Amino acid sequence: MTWLHWYLLVALLLFCVGLYGLVQRRSLIAMLIALELMLAAVSLNIVAITSLSGSSSSVGQVVALILIGVAAAEGAIALSLFVAIQREVQSINVENLSELKG
Amino acid sequence: MTGATVAALLAQGSPLLACAVVLIALRGRPRAAAALGIAGMGVSFAASAYLVAAVAVPGHSFLAQTVFLPVDAAHSLAFGVLLDPLSTTMALVVSGITLAVMAYSTGYMAGDPGYARYFGFLALFAWAMQGLVLSANLLQTLAFWELVGLASFLLIGFWFERPAPAAAARKAFIMTRVGDVGFLLGVLLLLRALGLATIPDVIAAAAPGGALTPRTVSVAAALLLMGVIGKSAQGPLFTWLPDAMEGPTPVSALLHSATMVAAGVYLVARLHPLFMAAPAVMHALLWLALVTALATATMAMVATDIKRVLAYSTISQLGYMLMGLAAGSAAAGFFHLVTHAGFKALLFLSAGIFIHHAHSNEMQEISERAPWSQRAGVIGLVAGSAALAGVIPFAGYFSKEAILGSLGTGASPLVVALAYLGAGLTAYYAFRMVFVTLGGTGARAHGGTDAPTHGGTGERGHGATAGERAMQVTVLLLAVLTLVLGYLGPWLGARLAPGEAAHGPFDVGVGALAALALVAAGIALAWVEFGRRGARRVGFVERMPALARFFGDNWYLDRLYRATVIRWAVALARAAHWNDRTIVDGATDGLADGTIGGGRLLALVQSGYVQVYLTVALGLIAALAYVLGRAGGVP
Repeated sequence: MTWLHWYLLVALLLFCVGLYGLVQRRSLIAMLIALELMLAAVSLNIVAITSLSGSSSSVGQVVALILIGVAAAEGAIALSLFVAIQREVQSINVENLSELKG
Repeated sequence: MTGATVAALLAQGSPLLACAVVLIALRGRPRAAAALGIAGMGVSFAASAYLVAAVAVPGHSFLAQTVFLPVDAAHSLAFGVLLDPLSTTMALVVSGITLAVMAYSTGYMAGDPGYARYFGFLALFAWAMQGLVLSANLLQTLAFWELVGLASFLLIGFWFERPAPAAAARKAFIMTRVGDVGFLLGVLLLLRALGLATIPDVIAAAAPGGALTPRTVSVAAALLLMGVIGKSAQGPLFTWLPDAMEGPTPVSALLHSATMVAAGVYLVARLHPLFMAAPAVMHALLWLALVTALATATMAMVATDIKRVLAYSTISQLGYMLMGLAAGSAAAGFFHLVTHAGFKALLFLSAGIFIHHAHSNEMQEISERAPWSQRAGVIGLVAGSAALAGVIPFAGYFSKEAILGSLGTGASPLVVALAYLGAGLTAYYAFRMVFVTLGGTGARAHGGTDAPTHGGTGERGHGATAGERAMQVTVLLLAVLTLVLGYLGPWLGARLAPGEAAHGPFDVGVGALAALALVAAGIALAWVEFGRRGARRVGFVERMPALARFFGDNWYLDRLYRATVIRWAVALARAAHWNDRTIVDGATDGLADGTIGGGRLLALVQSGYVQVYLTVALGLIAALAYVLGRAGGVP
């Protein structure tokens, strides 16, 4: 096992934790945190693969930085939506947000 | 256009015009409607009289026809007039009787809420009948034949707000329709074989060596006769006519004399050579008419309603006409049609006077309400009954004599004997009616009424109004006509059947004497049982209750129909109803319900929970990845 494999394994673990959280938690904020975990796993993968595959470019690190920026923006938008939902239905529990069911 | 064509168009067109104007524009103005109806009929009558004068020359025939819808090289639809002694004489009879009935109705129907509508329908009836009489081809005949049926439906059910007239109108329409199916098929058969089916062409084609095979002629004659049987109330299809008495009495007078039931007999006279070319069919018709004439005579012997007696007598007399025609004499049968039109209209209109006076159809009740105060009615009833019975010198004697004479030459002795028996029965029931109606004691009783149910009926009867004078004058005129019409026989015979041996009005032979003796016996029996002072007023048939019930109930024919045909039809209707409700509606409803249910079922998938969707999506991706991984990557 090389270092790369360890990194990938950690990223997989991180992704699975995020996925589990996304599916299992009922609070929108918890789901957003879980989503951020999954994004972090992806970023970790990109940085690890570009750094440890032998090339000397820093493209992976740049992409990871951009991803962090996107995640921050996404978080800002999502949180503002959550506030709006909270005002509308006095809850951010997804089980209460099922108006579209048939 | 010749004068004859113009007159023929006037004879048909003026009632139609009157009908249209009355029904469209004059519904709210009864006086104007009656005046216009009578004026229209007057024009028609004058035109018919001109036609008789111009065309009724022995052997003369005038045909004018115009094609209005060509179908293919051999077939087309045409419209025209056929003028010969037969059609013009009939047109004169139709317009004359209708005119008399209209004049009479101004009194009889006075104050009825449907007064204007009534005159409109009468004009429609007259137009339909004139069109039928003067039509040049069989398709046109068929069209007017159905219009006659429609007009009689409207008039029988004139008081449609009451259930009995509505039911009677339906019965008349449906029962005649049964026969009309055969009529339609017969006309179609002739149309297919002959293209235009112009009446002279049909007659020429039916002659031996003509375009039609004897087999085709027989089938066509039998099919056409079905329509005749329905229309002229013969054989198994006569029970609509007694029920048709639910209409106003003047309508009965018209329906029984010159229009509806006369149409069937007229058609046989019109196509007489065609029918004579099918001897087997004519033989069957002879027997059918004989049985009908005798059977309905027995029914008339026990009926207590004056209009029903007259209705049965009409069926019986129609039977005589058809017997004369079937025995081979067009002149005798048609002669009886003409005289019968006169005296039957007279009888009904006289009966109408009594009904108007006594507010009841029951002869017993009429007799209890001073019938002798209605002098015109008494004269009309006696003269009409004498003509019906065949008392010399009234019209009925001559025409019945002509029929019995033609039977003597063209039918078996058994038929002749039964026909004479029928003449005796006719005399008996006719004078039973006279004696029962006029022989009352003056005691008053309450009972049902058939007179027009409108306000103000009680006011009349004191001092004759203009309407009542019109009724009386009409009846007296017809009574005079009854005395005169009988002498038309030779005139008609010379024009309708120039080849036939002339039958003088006073040829007193064995047959005539026998008939007169039977008539005298019938009248004497009626006198003994009903007429003389202290008579028990119970007929010999009524002493046998079972027989009287049998006769009085149309020989149980209506019961038979209710138990069989009507029951089957109702069962069929029920089955069709069930099929419609359960199968057809079930299929469409099932389709709709299935769609809705399917939608409900599929909607369960849409739980609305974001995480369920997510799980499903992930599961699908995993499954896809697994399948693709096993297959070795994306192809």
